[in-house]
Amino acid sequence: MSEKEGFEPRIIGFLCNWCAYAGADLAGVSRIQYPTNIRIIRVMCSGRIDPAFILEAFKDGADGVLVAGCHLPSDCHYISGNFKALRRVTLLKRILKAFGIKPERLRLEWISASEGDKFATVVKEMVGEIKKLGPNPLKVGGKS
Amino acid sequence: MQAFEPKIIAFACKWCTSKEVEELQVPSNVKIVKVRCSGRIDPTIILELFTRGSDGTIVFGCPLGECHYETGNLHAEKKIKMLKKLMSLSGLNSERLRLEWISPLEEAKFTEIIRDFVGQMKTLGCSPLAGEKPDVNMLINLEAAKSAAEDFRLRVLVGREKWLLDNGNVYGEPVNEGEFDALLDEIVKAEFIRHKIHYLTREKPRSLKELAAFVGIKPALVLRHIMNMRRKGMIALDRIEGTTPLYKALEVQ
Amino acid sequence: MAEEKVGAVLVVGGGVAGIQAALDLADSGFKVYLIDQSPSIGGVMSKLDKTFPTNDCAMCILAPKLVATGRHPNINLVTNGEVIGLNGEAGNFEVKIRKRSRYINEEKCNGCGLCAQKCPVEAIDMFNEGLSDRSAIYIEYPQSVPLKFMIDREKCIGCGTCQEICKAEAIEYDQQDSEATLKVGSIILAPGFEPFDARLKSEYGYGRFPNVVTSIEFERILSASGPYGGLVLRPSDGEIPRKIAFIQCVGSRDAQLGNNYCSAACCMYGIKEAVIAKEHVPTKLDCTIFYMDIRAYGKEFDDYYNRAKEEHDIRFVRSRVASVTEDPSTGNLHVYYVEDGEPKTEEFNMVVLSIGMQPPKNAEKLAEVLGIKLNGYKFCQTELFSPVETSKPGIFVCGAFVAPKDIPESVAQASGAAARAMSLIASERGKEIVKKEYPPERDVTLEEPRIGVFVCHCGINIGGIVNVPEVVEYAKKLPNVVYAEANLYTCSQDTQEIIREKIKEYNLNRVVVASCTPRTHEPLFRETVREAGLNPYLFEMANIRDQCSWVHMHEPEKATEKAKDLVRSVLAKARLLKPLKKPIIDVTPVGLIIGGGVSGMTAALELARQGFEVHLVEREKEPGGHLRKIHYLLEGEDPKERLNRLVKEVMENGKIHVYLGAEVTEVSGFVGNFKSKIIHNGEEKEVEHGIVIVATGAVEYKPTEYLYGKDPRVITQRELEEKITRGEFKAKNVVMIQCVGARTEEKPNCARICCGQAIKNALKIKEVSPETDVYILYKDVRSYGFKEDYYRKAAEKGVLFINYDNGRKPKVTNENGKLKVTFWEPTIKEEIEIKPDAVVLSAATVPNPDNKRVAEMLKVPLTKDGFFLEAHMKLRPVDFATDGIFLCGMAHSPKFIDESIAQACAAASRATTILSKKTLEMEGIVASVDEDLCSGCRICEYLCPYGAIEMKEKNGKITAHVIEALCKGCGVCGTACPTKAITLGHFTTEEIMAQVKAALMEEITA
Repeated sequence: MSEKEGFEPRIIGFLCNWCAYAGADLAGVSRIQYPTNIRIIRVMCSGRIDPAFILEAFKDGADGVLVAGCHLPSDCHYISGNFKALRRVTLLKRILKAFGIKPERLRLEWISASEGDKFATVVKEMVGEIKKLGPNPLKVGGKS
Repeated sequence: MQAFEPKIIAFACKWCTSKEVEELQVPSNVKIVKVRCSGRIDPTIILELFTRGSDGTIVFGCPLGECHYETGNLHAEKKIKMLKKLMSLSGLNSERLRLEWISPLEEAKFTEIIRDFVGQMKTLGCSPLAGEKPDVNMLINLEAAKSAAEDFRLRVLVGREKWLLDNGNVYGEPVNEGEFDALLDEIVKAEFIRHKIHYLTREKPRSLKELAAFVGIKPALVLRHIMNMRRKGMIALDRIEGTTPLYKALEVQ
Repeated sequence: MAEEKVGAVLVVGGGVAGIQAALDLADSGFKVYLIDQSPSIGGVMSKLDKTFPTNDCAMCILAPKLVATGRHPNINLVTNGEVIGLNGEAGNFEVKIRKRSRYINEEKCNGCGLCAQKCPVEAIDMFNEGLSDRSAIYIEYPQSVPLKFMIDREKCIGCGTCQEICKAEAIEYDQQDSEATLKVGSIILAPGFEPFDARLKSEYGYGRFPNVVTSIEFERILSASGPYGGLVLRPSDGEIPRKIAFIQCVGSRDAQLGNNYCSAACCMYGIKEAVIAKEHVPTKLDCTIFYMDIRAYGKEFDDYYNRAKEEHDIRFVRSRVASVTEDPSTGNLHVYYVEDGEPKTEEFNMVVLSIGMQPPKNAEKLAEVLGIKLNGYKFCQTELFSPVETSKPGIFVCGAFVAPKDIPESVAQASGAAARAMSLIASERGKEIVKKEYPPERDVTLEEPRIGVFVCHCGINIGGIVNVPEVVEYAKKLPNVVYAEANLYTCSQDTQEIIREKIKEYNLNRVVVASCTPRTHEPLFRETVREAGLNPYLFEMANIRDQCSWVHMHEPEKATEKAKDLVRSVLAKARLLKPLKKPIIDVTPVGLIIGGGVSGMTAALELARQGFEVHLVEREKEPGGHLRKIHYLLEGEDPKERLNRLVKEVMENGKIHVYLGAEVTEVSGFVGNFKSKIIHNGEEKEVEHGIVIVATGAVEYKPTEYLYGKDPRVITQRELEEKITRGEFKAKNVVMIQCVGARTEEKPNCARICCGQAIKNALKIKEVSPETDVYILYKDVRSYGFKEDYYRKAAEKGVLFINYDNGRKPKVTNENGKLKVTFWEPTIKEEIEIKPDAVVLSAATVPNPDNKRVAEMLKVPLTKDGFFLEAHMKLRPVDFATDGIFLCGMAHSPKFIDESIAQACAAASRATTILSKKTLEMEGIVASVDEDLCSGCRICEYLCPYGAIEMKEKNGKITAHVIEALCKGCGVCGTACPTKAITLGHFTTEEIMAQVKAALMEEITA
């Protein structure tokens, strides 16, 4: 099997309820088509996203992780949860390497409730980029 | 050339005649089947007989008011009426089906009627469904008629017709026979068409245009029937070719 | 002596307006009788496929409201009903009603539908506009509320089959029509409209040519539950059309018919139908819209119109179609029209007539029975400054019966009418109602998870792409799933009943629904499980529509796999769900209103009339806002006198505290318990309140184009109005230019009121100086509704209306001291020059620059244009997504005075649903602390943006505690806690981890 052609990345998306998740819903309402590779997990705030969740996703074989919340500085429904997400994701990207994961596999985006097209574009881009990176090297039996 | 001898089936209610089948003096091309009551005759069997090449069917029941089961003969009357409608719709001369009232006291009349029926069938000639080359289209029609007759909708209406005409409807209003018959006409026709569409789309998906040509009605009407069939789970969209949707029959439970 | 008032309201008409009014009233402590002529509520909206400008599926957004209405303990539905008599007066009416027999016992019918399956008689299905058939015993549509069958007595032959089949013994052939007398304090009329009968416009061939259909028929054709199952087919031959023409203004703007008015919604629904048709048709479809003016005047409507042109390739032809003929051999239609002075003919496969709105059929009868006045077109007569009041005290009105209008305006008016209806009987609040009782909650903590899964087809929205039966079978195999089934619409009322039954039958202790988004439907299902004795948080949703079937329409197999993954992932979470308790909080029965224009003042008065105290904060030294600058009105009222009256009433009302020259600088707290700082006269004051209403208004755009500011003869409409009023305006020749600062590349949306303003000023000029020539250069004249009358009047008075587009904007130059306007005249196709004495710019109404600050302070969103963004454009026009905060007036978008007043009343009504309650049941998703694990490190206390964590000492150990009423449930604390002692309910670490693991368990590729 040709590795890159047949490879369909699996992406976990952690989306905050008020902006990014609503944006993903809007992509649906507007029927904007994007690849099926993402599995969305809803949290109330991007500030709820524990680095442990992201590491768990990579450990379980996710080829990419998207963290999406409300736009900086002040869109956050909970005042400043997005800043907390920003700090955590930035730190996590630095240490991902130690786990053998390229930081490019983790992406942080601000997506508002009215940006359905942006959400779809982000997913499309991520799928493309991760296809180039190949499968998650931590995946059991996966090729590094 | 040998004279045409029509194949005829006679259903006789066992209370109409006291004699055994063998004792009845009828021509050899007439096969007599005794039934418990004319009301018990299954319409699909009669249609089935026609598809198998029978030239005529005659049903004997007790005269009105003399039915052993009180109203069986009346039900027979309604069923035969519906069958005749279905036969006409199928293109089969409805005179090939006859209903006669006869009481045990008039046994002589029995053979007389049979003879008359045989004569009539001779004049009508061979059934288009009999012989080497049966009319294929008519066969399809009769298949459709058979399923229509089995359909709950017709069974319920025919089953209740007598009661409604006698007692009025559930609101206590009298039911006018002419109006009811007109309604029945309409419904028999609709069911016949739908079952024909169903039959035709069983083997392969078909377009409205195709179906309209087969059924001989306007595409607009076919569309309406198809949508009703869809509502009832009889048919579904199979695929779209260009701008033409093709429909395929669903198995009816 | 006046009789005592009654705390109940009758709402006549169960469309979306009537439903909204009923819900507001019932949620504010009043008993409601909702009467509708039809066997079910939902009105015209229930027939629509999608709604503009969001393309939301109409049924999807309406169904939750239908269900909420149907199960509200204080709304008494009277279907098949009509009002036949009225006695008494405002505050104490006796209404005589008649209810047509359903021939079915509503108590006994469970809506199973077996009767309809077996009924031998077919009838034309009028819900599908006659395009299909139904049985003689029927419901109008699958989500009907109430879900009670009905016998069509005209068609029923009385065979008795249904009675034999009905297991519930619900059939009652002897049921008679009945009459009853209701005692109510006030009445709201929401009877809607009657679609124009397109046969009257015989030149278009409707009724003769099968492929000419009306817009409402086309809605049904587009609908998944419509006559053709959502396929766009020609009625003549069932073929999919390749070319469709939409003809606008059929039965509207038509002097011959006497329907001079504009039906206000048809332009947008026409565009929407064209866009959606293209989405539904698998092959290439060309859509052409024949129009006179595109009236996309609503919030972000022009964005939609532009997308239709640019992205969806819809062709727009400015022409009134002369006639339509049919080619009998093909069923195709020839459309005759004139474009650029040339007569043209074009062939189409199908023609859709955008039919207008007429007054409801029973308008005259209703008016007679109730003693209210109708206007010249037989719509309900209202006044500009009292837009929801009929001519009879105590009887209010909303929706299309006032004037043709679209859904959000109807909804806002409905809430507005509810507010007026309530204030009349505010003293009787709570006297006629019953409280909703839930069964005792089952303790499931020691039980193994027993999960029920319900997978929604959503018509064909999900089922058309995702293989729903396969998902159901898959779910059945997953651990702890003891039951799974598919539903046509999981949100429908009958399915709620099924869910409750299955919870009992299978002793379920968790429920998972795989359907649309939890953002809209979670509350409904939580309510359902609660009614079945389960804690509402033992419920979880998988979003397999918005985030699956709708975005993977061309990959059904992969979408099915994804749906399974999502269900599996959510089930992993559901297994771990724990019951949560909903905190109860007290409500401060006080309102804070930001902005003291006509909207803010109206909202303040309404709240005060309801009995609540109000803080009204206005930045200017004087109240009145925009209205202060209006000197005369199209409709003739004296704005000054009205404003003075309003200001006086507000100032004299003891319950309203007015702060002028003041500003709200800080808002903290939450619904029911806000605390805000107001800077007033240099002093800071702190106020406590239960709700906030944003009424910050809008401002006039300051033009930079057309020599404005450079030449004193170039002025804005408002400046013109000022000059005319002062008698300073003298001119022989005036050119008005529309859409200045609106409908441009940068600012694509319409400012709504400028066309009306220009017509008003043009008429005024003609009144004071008939010999003055007035030219109005416009893109589209958007005099919607009854304002069309004034457009006609202006044209009759000789005002010249000349069309221009963005490609050929007029030019204003100064030639040797003389103003010169050059523009293209499209009918004579020549460049024309005029040397006017004045050029008047219709400057757009733009967002208040302060909106950004207010939005950040309140944590509420703005649109990209800078107006406030409501919770839902269609059905929640004055709510924000954040509980307890509302908006009205021009802060929402530009609008006329009557519209602002209706919205202001609406905001007050919505606010009253909170303020009228002593306590509110809060969201149960809050943080909680495991004191044994807590090390007292204070990280959470530091991080919590709401100050919802306090440190407490207990047995010598300092640990964190959550103040539940302050906790908003973001979960930031739990993420940071080093000992994992604090966590957010319903989003615990274990739950999310399980969800992640399960989502990744299987390969998505085969």
